[in-house]
Amino acid sequence: MVADDFAVLDDPLEQQAFTQASEADDGFVNESVLMVQGMYCAACADTVESALARCPGVLEAQVHAATRRLTLRWDPARTRLSELAQAVGRTGYRLLPMQQALGVSERVKETRQALWRLFVAGFCMMQVMMYTWPEYVTAPGEIPADIVQLLRWASWVLSLPVMLFASGPFFASAWRDLRQGRIGMDTPVSIGILVTFVASSLATFDPTGPWGQDIWFDSLTMFVFFLLGGRYLELKLRDRTAGALDALMNRLPEQCERERPDGTVERVSLKRLQVGDVVRVEAGQAFPGDGTVLSDAATVDEALLTGESHPITRRRGGAVVAGSYNLGGTVRVRIDRLGRDTRFAQIVSLMEQASTEKPRLARLADRIAAPFLVLVLLAAALSALLWWSVDPHRAVATAVAVLIVTCPCALSLATPAAMLASAGALARRGILTRRLQAFEALAAVDTVVFDKTGTLTQDRVVVREVRVRDGWTVERALRAAAPLARASLHPVSRALVARFEDTAAGDGPAPLLEVAETPGRGLTARDTEGHEWRLGSAAHCGLDEAALVQVGRSVADMPCAYLADAHGWVATFVLDEGVRPDARAAIERLRALGLRVHLLSGDRLGAALRVARPLGIDTVVAEASPERKLEQVARWQAGGHRVAMVGDGLNDGPVLARADVSFALGHGAPLTQTRADFVVQSGRLSDVVFVVEQARATMRIVRQNLAWAAGYNAISVPLALVGWMPPWAAGLGMAASSLLVIGNAMRLSRMVAKALSNGLPAVAAPTPTPV
Amino acid sequence: MEILYLLIPLSVVLVLLIIGVFWWALQSGQFDNIEREGERILRQD
Repeated sequence: MVADDFAVLDDPLEQQAFTQASEADDGFVNESVLMVQGMYCAACADTVESALARCPGVLEAQVHAATRRLTLRWDPARTRLSELAQAVGRTGYRLLPMQQALGVSERVKETRQALWRLFVAGFCMMQVMMYTWPEYVTAPGEIPADIVQLLRWASWVLSLPVMLFASGPFFASAWRDLRQGRIGMDTPVSIGILVTFVASSLATFDPTGPWGQDIWFDSLTMFVFFLLGGRYLELKLRDRTAGALDALMNRLPEQCERERPDGTVERVSLKRLQVGDVVRVEAGQAFPGDGTVLSDAATVDEALLTGESHPITRRRGGAVVAGSYNLGGTVRVRIDRLGRDTRFAQIVSLMEQASTEKPRLARLADRIAAPFLVLVLLAAALSALLWWSVDPHRAVATAVAVLIVTCPCALSLATPAAMLASAGALARRGILTRRLQAFEALAAVDTVVFDKTGTLTQDRVVVREVRVRDGWTVERALRAAAPLARASLHPVSRALVARFEDTAAGDGPAPLLEVAETPGRGLTARDTEGHEWRLGSAAHCGLDEAALVQVGRSVADMPCAYLADAHGWVATFVLDEGVRPDARAAIERLRALGLRVHLLSGDRLGAALRVARPLGIDTVVAEASPERKLEQVARWQAGGHRVAMVGDGLNDGPVLARADVSFALGHGAPLTQTRADFVVQSGRLSDVVFVVEQARATMRIVRQNLAWAAGYNAISVPLALVGWMPPWAAGLGMAASSLLVIGNAMRLSRMVAKALSNGLPAVAAPTPTPV
Repeated sequence: MEILYLLIPLSVVLVLLIIGVFWWALQSGQFDNIEREGERILRQD
């Protein structure tokens, strides 16, 4: 039994998405499309229908068992939708608005139509082959003439659905091109199909006529079937890329629990939610929008960003993204962004944009294809004319073979198919491709330039070294500093607490009173005996940094935090940015791939070198202003290098735009503003290596595809022109070359699966212990 | 051989019939998500 109050269904704003009102004899009739949850069979459909039929105000209720779709006609004057939903709820089913299904239904319809055409062509093809088979295997005259004629008629009947229905897309597209005065890919195909059918039909009904008595119904149906098969696979490929994230899209909740100012909770639909609202998200539910955590901590699953689901902890004040799951207990979240503004919506629109883009090689192929197609038509007409004078019976066959065999479908598919497959595969791993063209550029790159902060290093700091007053130990200093640091969320404080928890065994920190924070400077507190303790910058602690450095109590070119008591200096905590755990392996791998790795940092030379040296980076350019960074990248490019730039996408926009290919690491920057070609959402450096390898694999496949398509045409066109290629072989060859190109491209998505199972670091390595 | 006059038209009708059955299966959504039935056992609702 389902006991919701379903008030959300009565919301007029909500209703217009799934309800249509129409005028009837007496008043209005509403027609709503709803989804029935919890229903699996025809018997369930009966239960729901009869439960609704008993309610007053219901004019008609129809449940479609397979799609779980309920079409409900009801009288708004006599009942409300929520009452009907409650009636259904009493039988154990839940009614949901159908809004997401409406969006998906377009695509479902398209796929169904494609599959339907493919199947009609397939079945007719099989049967036509059966009817044609006796003619191939018997000597002329072996079968009685009337039976031969009967078989031909049967073939003709079954070719009709293929002609009239299954070939529809080719004719439609050829007609569209024709009206615009162009010659498209489908023009020769359509002419070929038409000529074959007309000639075969004439031969069937008038075997003694000038068209001879050859029929090609088997070639025709087979050709259409294979061509449709290729189109279907292409459609699926496109679907998988654009729809790679679609499955995630459906996880946004339809409604959520909003807190009223007085602390009570109300259920509202997602559409009613506004920025600034505070919502409660229960365990197992998805967050309705991008927001800030108001509870102490939340455990979330951000598989939609990183491509892998393992729990991540977000503390109070941390950000959660729409569509990610709450794994822990109930969490209070303040909504910061909704709908189109959420990171999630941005990801989806980005992917859609990228998948409609035509890469350079594809445009080039199309440019070559257009004049090529004119040549094909001329060649076919010419060969028909020539053969007409030699042997009229073979004229049609030759022309048809030329028309069909030369279709450059494979050529135009070669590039986009491969790049789309790769983009889809990367998307499933949490890597977004903004331009398909970037695959080509990345495969040619020979130099990778990293930014330092937030790219090679994590965006948090660690305590690298502790220097203490004579007589003190590091543990004692940490224990004194920890209670102060605990009171603050500053990155340095967190680093101190983390270090304290790592080293201190058993002993808790000394209790302190009256802890106060001066933002940007430090903390002050009093211990139980009334002595004052300070933690923070040198100025905050009343210390002279230069003097401390001189006596070896501090370090010059690194950030430091100080602890001081009433007598002055107690300890210096030397801080360092933590190098990402996978940086070393990633850079080694890049070098093994033959790439040069540079570091371009705005930081001081000492800090940059300390990061770069152990990683084996070739060149370090430090203390670079944004202008200097641009200049340096331009200099590398002028030296003939192709440069890929890896940054965090926040501070290095111009440099990212200047480089040949750019990566944005992590999800700091808003996606719509980032200029990067690839966005690595997980922030793993190993993913950068992975994209480089994938790009090289993609271009390898593209080259294979182009070589195959060009080679195929070069060989088959002369063969067809001299009449050595029967129409069936032409159809088979052309369709097979398209299928081969698509199949080859699809290997790219399998490569990712293999790479993942082969143990490329799919799970982030543990955080490094501070040095 | 006269039986072929019956059998061949019959086979044509049969093919059209099979196509009709497939049309019904397709339109009732049986091919929309082939994995769904297999995954159903894992679901709670």
